[in-house]
Amino acid sequence: MSTLPLDPRHGGGRFPDFDVTTQARHWDETTRAVVEKRLGMQTPVRFFTESEQAAATALFDQLLYQRSEPRVPVTEMVDARLAENLTDGWHYETMPPDEAAWRASLTNLDDDSREAHGCLFAECDWDDQSAILTAIQNRGSDQWHGMVAAQVWSLWTRYACTAFYSHPQAWNEIGFDGPAYPRGYKNIGVNRLESFEVHDARPGDDPVEGKGQ
Amino acid sequence: MSEVRERNESAWLMTADGSRMEPGLRDNMRRFDDDDEVDLVIVGCGAGGSTLLQRMARAGARVVALDAGPFWEPETDWVSDEAGSHHLYWTEPRKIGGSDPVPLGSNNSGRGVGGSMVHYAGYAPRFHPSDFRTRTNDGVGADWPIDYGNLKSYYELIEEELPVSGEDWPWGDPHGYPQRPHPVGGNGELFQRGALACGITAKVGPVAISNGRFGNRPHCIYRGFCLQGCKVNAKASPLITHVPDALAHGAEVRPDSMVTRIEIDQRTGRATGVHYARGGVSRFQRASMVAVAGYSIETPRLLLNSTSDRFPNGLCNDFDQVGRYLMVQGAPQTAGRFDDEVRMWKAPPPEVSSEQFYETDPGKPYKRGFSIQTVSPLPITWAEHVSAQGYWGADLRNYMSDYVHWACLGSLCEFLALPDNRVTLADEKDRHGMPIARFDYSQCDNDRALMKAATGVMEDILKGAGADEVITINRYAHLVGGARMAATEQKGVVDADCRSFAVPNLLIVDGSVLPTQGSANPALTIMAVAARAAARLTQQRT
Repeated sequence: MSTLPLDPRHGGGRFPDFDVTTQARHWDETTRAVVEKRLGMQTPVRFFTESEQAAATALFDQLLYQRSEPRVPVTEMVDARLAENLTDGWHYETMPPDEAAWRASLTNLDDDSREAHGCLFAECDWDDQSAILTAIQNRGSDQWHGMVAAQVWSLWTRYACTAFYSHPQAWNEIGFDGPAYPRGYKNIGVNRLESFEVHDARPGDDPVEGKGQ
Repeated sequence: MSEVRERNESAWLMTADGSRMEPGLRDNMRRFDDDDEVDLVIVGCGAGGSTLLQRMARAGARVVALDAGPFWEPETDWVSDEAGSHHLYWTEPRKIGGSDPVPLGSNNSGRGVGGSMVHYAGYAPRFHPSDFRTRTNDGVGADWPIDYGNLKSYYELIEEELPVSGEDWPWGDPHGYPQRPHPVGGNGELFQRGALACGITAKVGPVAISNGRFGNRPHCIYRGFCLQGCKVNAKASPLITHVPDALAHGAEVRPDSMVTRIEIDQRTGRATGVHYARGGVSRFQRASMVAVAGYSIETPRLLLNSTSDRFPNGLCNDFDQVGRYLMVQGAPQTAGRFDDEVRMWKAPPPEVSSEQFYETDPGKPYKRGFSIQTVSPLPITWAEHVSAQGYWGADLRNYMSDYVHWACLGSLCEFLALPDNRVTLADEKDRHGMPIARFDYSQCDNDRALMKAATGVMEDILKGAGADEVITINRYAHLVGGARMAATEQKGVVDADCRSFAVPNLLIVDGSVLPTQGSANPALTIMAVAARAAARLTQQRT
């Protein structure tokens, strides 16, 4: 199984040859079905309109730094959650329910982009997109198009991270073992690995020291 | 343990391999008719409802528990996967407000038979004696109409039934546990190391995860997916600790049944049963007694929606108490970075805890306190922690690639009961046509001071263990209150025995009756309160 493209200075390649899917034979049937569905073809987009799909894809690429293939199909995964009403249910009183908040915030993203660069968000170049997002993030608890900027940011990152870090390719990148039933773990404790686990090849790559900043 | 089996045989009613409840129990379960006037109908089959169900069935009552969610089969309905466990949460529409709105729908909500104990971490601490007297002792919160001594024997019973494992407990009312402490993983090891360096006492446990075979339930396999529902059946939830015994004693559990209103006879003022929706059909279950156990959001919502001429402002709401004094715990989570590989996802998230800062410290500017526990977020929850620091794009990927090096502690801060932290009905309606709950939350200065103090202690512990960077996310855990017990009807909704003041045959038996919360995870106390209410109802104990 391929890994996701990520430059070593951004944390790529820390777990050489580690592939959780080689352990799939040790997973229970129900779990295996759920996880393997993420690896196959996704249901075509049905919740997002075409222009929302374009904005969402550009947004997710930015938030998750997906700049080339193969990508985790985040747009399709988020679209499925919204189409199937698999939201968390709650919404801030200052914000509509998730479905409407998604549509509105993607439209607003295009509005910001048109105003600043005269084109849709998806049509902007990478750095301009990053600048638009940085400006929204920096608004914090201030309003952005009638919603609290931080609440919109939280909506975006919550859905993006849930999709991306549910994917086995993302697990390979971070050294996570994935499903563990019925096998469990034999070697728990600091620096204790299972036979199938792979040590971090660059344990000194501490993001604290400014890698990838 | 033979004594446990004599009063609650649930663990021995699992199949020999421990994978599921004996299928015959469910297939041949007694089924009441809507027209049967059962002795007791219980709304909600979680920590409180299931305990009451089991106790009342044992006492010979004809009892049925309705639950809005499914009757789970762990082997086929649950997965060893984070995103795939979304269906364990209550995700019906709700609106949140106040100056510190509390997100719902995940860690603080449950769905289906077993309730939120299906996906709680498994921590099962007792409350401290001081929790029952915070108004008298500290001038904050409320006094309970019972004290610790009234609950103590029920704590002991439930600890045996779950069962709970842990070291001898030095805090609150010192006590031991029926099972020995579990071995700990990397995260627990670092907590112990850091606590030692800081002169803080930390203990392994208390967790309701069986350390060893218990009845037919297997030993924990340390796979770390406690929060996704224990497929192993090592971690306790009422689905396996109380429901099997209840069914064996003639109780019915009716899943997929959403109760929308409690009916009151306007002449006698007594409850006559509950309206519920099942498969899109409106039905009515007659009952001579009703117990509500829908937890802190749904219990007030159901009461507020049950209006009539006698109760125009909602059932049991003559004194505007329903929905008020709802509490969450401040639950900041602090993580530390180590050059070693911690791999905190290996082993159950609940491992080690400290209650050293639980009580009011006269030297501090705030009242009450906090506890500290290991929490071990899986990748999605960890990504939320990292992105809360403002990281996204390449920085997020970079931080996440460092996952194996991080240890993580969580704190539970005792937020105080305040009248305006409450559930009301919103204008929006759900698919049953029932108004959705609106939940407002605003912190007070004491709450904020506790969060800050707890974060400081967690940072010290992690640095004491050798962390070179610490990062914190502010979050919330647990819900209690919203229909609290009190000495008088002006101050609460139910009395010390969980009987409502306003309706003689209506009980509330869940976390919503708790007047304070301490900094303990509430599950054990909810079960103990329910067990006591059942005993009072059947007059077996005092």
